[in-house]
Amino acid sequence: MKKLYRIARALVLLALLSPLGLAWLPPDRLPLRLEPAFQAVLQSSFRQLSITLAATLALAALLTVVLGYASVLWQRFGRTGASILKAVESVPAILVALFCYAPVSGYLARHSSGASQTVSLLVFILAATLTLLPEAVRGVAIPLGDLYHRKYSLSFRSYGFTKRRILAVLMGSHVMRGTLKRIAAGILLKTLVLDCSFGFIIQLGFGSYGTPAHASPGALIAANRDALFEGGTPALFWLPSLLLVAISTSFLLTLGEREEAAA
Amino acid sequence: MRFIRFLARELLIHGVLFTVAGTAILSLLYLLSIGAPPESFARTGQSFLLLLSGSRDFSIDHPGFSAGQIIASGAAVTLPLALASLLLLTVVALFASAFATTARYLAGKHGQFGAEALKRSTGLLASVLAAVPLFVGFWVLANGFGSQAPFLLIAISTILLGGLAWDATRFLMSDMLRQVESTHATVFTTLGRPLGGLFPLPGTFSGYLFSSSLPRFIPYLAGKVPAIIGAVTIGEIVFSFPGLGSTLLEALLATNTDLLVASVFILLCVNAVVAFIVKSFLFLIYPRWYEKAL
Repeated sequence: MKKLYRIARALVLLALLSPLGLAWLPPDRLPLRLEPAFQAVLQSSFRQLSITLAATLALAALLTVVLGYASVLWQRFGRTGASILKAVESVPAILVALFCYAPVSGYLARHSSGASQTVSLLVFILAATLTLLPEAVRGVAIPLGDLYHRKYSLSFRSYGFTKRRILAVLMGSHVMRGTLKRIAAGILLKTLVLDCSFGFIIQLGFGSYGTPAHASPGALIAANRDALFEGGTPALFWLPSLLLVAISTSFLLTLGEREEAAA
Repeated sequence: MRFIRFLARELLIHGVLFTVAGTAILSLLYLLSIGAPPESFARTGQSFLLLLSGSRDFSIDHPGFSAGQIIASGAAVTLPLALASLLLLTVVALFASAFATTARYLAGKHGQFGAEALKRSTGLLASVLAAVPLFVGFWVLANGFGSQAPFLLIAISTILLGGLAWDATRFLMSDMLRQVESTHATVFTTLGRPLGGLFPLPGTFSGYLFSSSLPRFIPYLAGKVPAIIGAVTIGEIVFSFPGLGSTLLEALLATNTDLLVASVFILLCVNAVVAFIVKSFLFLIYPRWYEKAL
């Protein structure tokens, strides 16, 4: 019964995440028929979102593991790093993203679409990683430090293992693998929220000149915000919104279940 | 002595120093990355000093926004919205956690699964609400009310949509649920006190569990202040309120460095004020926990 529940749950999560996969299908193979121009922009925005999520996850997860491991290995490095990350954390994420984007907006407007898209993506990934790191590194360093000070780590030490080696073994433990999965879900959720909020705000503030390079679903929703007014087509606003709700729900459910299991 | 150390750390280091240094670093990075000429650095620095001194001559190059006006926009819109959101966030987390712990206790000890089932379905609803992007909710509100939307409604949307309330509830709930099966909680239930299913009032079962979780919950709230300020900034931009969010976007649009620096500074000040209020609570209620958290 429990296995059946797990399979059903995995299928539901997969269905909720499907917009990210469907965005890569050829337009004629999609189950939904939409106005071609809107469908193209919708697919392009979710394709861009999936790239942003994957790239941010790769960079942020790598840095998180390295910094988390190093923080426990070298206490002084850990304390200094924690103070710096705490300072970064005290600045609202949207402000960090806006500040990172503002300086390159001139470059984005001047250069070709391809170059501009790459720079925009890189800037956003850096900004998102910067805002995600404090909580993620803390999420690795605290349980890793706890594990290191437990009894069985002490016995490792009695065998003459170095701290570096013990921490490497502990990083592969069941507890740490669960922690890393939870951190990955958190990184994805926060990147999704930041990417879309940022796209929406930029589109709202800068209009059609604002996001030629940042084709986020948030920007698409902002571009179609007038669809809610009388005479508009509300589906243009609601369809990308509902797809975002589905993707976010899958991340939230993943995070929620793990937390409840831990309690 | 402890109080002086608290003030020195929170007011001077985390408040004044972080805010001034944060603004200076962000401004420096901004000027460097736009390739501003050397005289711009000096002019921006001078402007920043004028802002700090509250001078009327602030931003002579870009008249229309005095230091006082920018501070007033933060005080009138951003600060009350942030404080209202923080208060609501706390109330929602307390209510949901009290209900969840009571439901778990009733299911575990008395075999009554009604409350637990209600908790699960409410949790699912809360997850879906949290998954709704904040800006979508704000735009729907703005569509109905325009820029006349009541502050309370905006504060409710700020915490219910976008995941703030979901995350806070999850944090407090899991902390309290971990204690439901513990020996001290079991002993407390033998005293015949009310369960406190709707709110963790003192003397109730949920209130007893909450008193143990409070020292961890307050630092959590302090850590969420930047997220609340960020959400409020988005709200101000969507509703076109004359707050710091709109001023910031306006500054970015006009590449007005003085205004940008001033907006960031005031935004970080609001952030520091709200965080200071929360940390003061922790210090006043649990001074030892505050010291331990350092």
